[in-house]
Amino acid sequence: MMPGSSIGQMEINAAIADELLNTAPVGYVPPSAGKPRTRWARVFPALVLLLHALFFLAPLLTLARYSLQNVPAFLLGRETLFKKWSLKPLTMAFDHPSFGPALKLSLQLAVGTVAVTLLLLVPTAIWVHLRVPKARAMVEFFTVLPYMIPAIALVAGIIVIKPHARWFLNSDFSLIPFYVVLSLPFTYRSIDAGLRAIDLKTLVDASRSLGRGWAGTVLKVVIPNLRTSMISVSFLTAAVVIGEFTIADTLLKETLPRFQATFVGREPQAGYALNLLALLATTALFLLLSVLTRKRNPKRKTFEHRSAQLAAKGDLSS
Amino acid sequence: MTALDFISVRKTFGPNVALEGLDLDVKDGELITLLGPSGCGKTTALRIAAGFEFADSGAVLVGGADITRTPAHKRNMGMVFQSYSLFPNLTVANNIDFGLRTRKMHAADRHRRVGEMLELVELTKFADRYPHQLSGGQQQRVALARALAIQPRVLLLDEPLSALDAKVRTSLRDEIRRIQTEVGITTLFVTHDQEEALAISDRVCVMSQGNLEQLGTPTDVYRHPKTAFVARFVGSMNELPAEALGSGEVSVLDQRFAVPKAAKATTGERLHLLVRPEDLSLTTDGGFAGTVTSVTFQGASTLVGVRLDVLDRLVSVDVGQGAADHLSIGDRTAVVVDGSSAVCETV
Repeated sequence: MMPGSSIGQMEINAAIADELLNTAPVGYVPPSAGKPRTRWARVFPALVLLLHALFFLAPLLTLARYSLQNVPAFLLGRETLFKKWSLKPLTMAFDHPSFGPALKLSLQLAVGTVAVTLLLLVPTAIWVHLRVPKARAMVEFFTVLPYMIPAIALVAGIIVIKPHARWFLNSDFSLIPFYVVLSLPFTYRSIDAGLRAIDLKTLVDASRSLGRGWAGTVLKVVIPNLRTSMISVSFLTAAVVIGEFTIADTLLKETLPRFQATFVGREPQAGYALNLLALLATTALFLLLSVLTRKRNPKRKTFEHRSAQLAAKGDLSS
Repeated sequence: MTALDFISVRKTFGPNVALEGLDLDVKDGELITLLGPSGCGKTTALRIAAGFEFADSGAVLVGGADITRTPAHKRNMGMVFQSYSLFPNLTVANNIDFGLRTRKMHAADRHRRVGEMLELVELTKFADRYPHQLSGGQQQRVALARALAIQPRVLLLDEPLSALDAKVRTSLRDEIRRIQTEVGITTLFVTHDQEEALAISDRVCVMSQGNLEQLGTPTDVYRHPKTAFVARFVGSMNELPAEALGSGEVSVLDQRFAVPKAAKATTGERLHLLVRPEDLSLTTDGGFAGTVTSVTFQGASTLVGVRLDVLDRLVSVDVGQGAADHLSIGDRTAVVVDGSSAVCETV
């Protein structure tokens, strides 16, 4: 028999397939769909969420009470829960002359570290994925090293090179390379996961076959599809920079964590109020991260709308 | 006129030879399929045409111009991949627009072209959807529209139907052929599915281990395979042990057949006789006696498995519609061989 279908069969196939093709795909249906959920199955996720919330909120609440209530620590109890709350300890930190410059430096370092990290890691990760995929495991191992090597070892290294690199280490921004290395375990993995989630090789090939060179492909295809990873990297890096103390202290840089440490020594209550604020700011950053990574452009014009616009301008007349 | 030419193209990956001097010319408006098993070099040939790989030696010409060393983004080739390859961050319309934007076309012209392409693949109402909101078949049609939008010199299709289910595959296959004929674009299609290749192509290029085994029309390749590899790979074959008798005759045990392709075999040479299931028939008188081992209904025909008594060999016989209705497993029957299209392989 000669492979292939008769004309009649082909038409039937085409009709069936046309219907299949023009039907919007049905959303993913989990295997458990339709089965009644037990009470335990309904309660369990809520319980886990509650435990996590407690784990996160209890220390914050305790810190808030210690730093923002004008009540001696040994009197902090249920009966004093709503007494003598004040935001004054927070303003004490803001009023300190070293606070502004320390915050500014930390924010500058955060921006610089994010920029260097992205400029260094995105092309490297793309190159590794496309050209030397076999080296992925090795690169991943190297990026995890800052996790395994204690910060004090890094500090010891800095002390050794300090006499030979004063010209570099004198600058406040000399912290940036150290912060890039410190945040590598989080940042590389995030970019790597983003690249694994897309079919990078095929997308790059598709873009090139459509006329984009390497630079255009990276800018127009790869980076837009790494948006979520890159936002994650930015916030994770910023969080590392804003919380890092050891290296900044070794190099005597007046960053926010260093200011916090000295300020806590002088004004414990106001110092902890500042710590509380830093924690809340970090939490807010992560909430912002989750919102930003989900957002789609609601103002995007539809194809039909664009057709109408061009027709109105008379541009669509052939 | 030749639109795409491979001239003695050789490509190796380390010690592995992917292409061993491929010579192939694709004529203007023609659809040629590169057919072969995994690792035969068909995808390598396609990627060399696209510019994703460069040949170690030899040349690739498009419309007579040498593009052997031209980078992929300057070749103006449209390519459709097995894994859809739509840009996930762009809508259907923007995916199709991608290549046009690269060519810095005027916005209105781009918009018009996108509209035409959406109409061509019948997806106008899906213009604002994202790839993840489409089925596999729809995504592949968008990929086809995107590749055609740039008006490429050659359309390259790398197993575009492999990831689809059977019904959608058949429909999209016919649609690709319709669009290819309508647009009149020169097309190189890669597949390992012989049925797909025979159904869609003007010519089929069967490849094995980096070599071109046979290039011909689907009928040629199927009815007149030049090598035992082509005979075995395209369609199914029965193998019978035979001996050349000279003058285009062979014997299988005590039976003699005229086999034109055995004309060059020397008398007494031991052969494998390769016969298509449709070149065998069932009879009650003469032939090789055997027992029915399976009866497989295939719609337009029925495939009957018969274990031959004398050769202790299982053969498949393709009988017409209704001809096997009376047969059941265990029945006694006999098989007659028509050697006119059979292929001989020296043992």
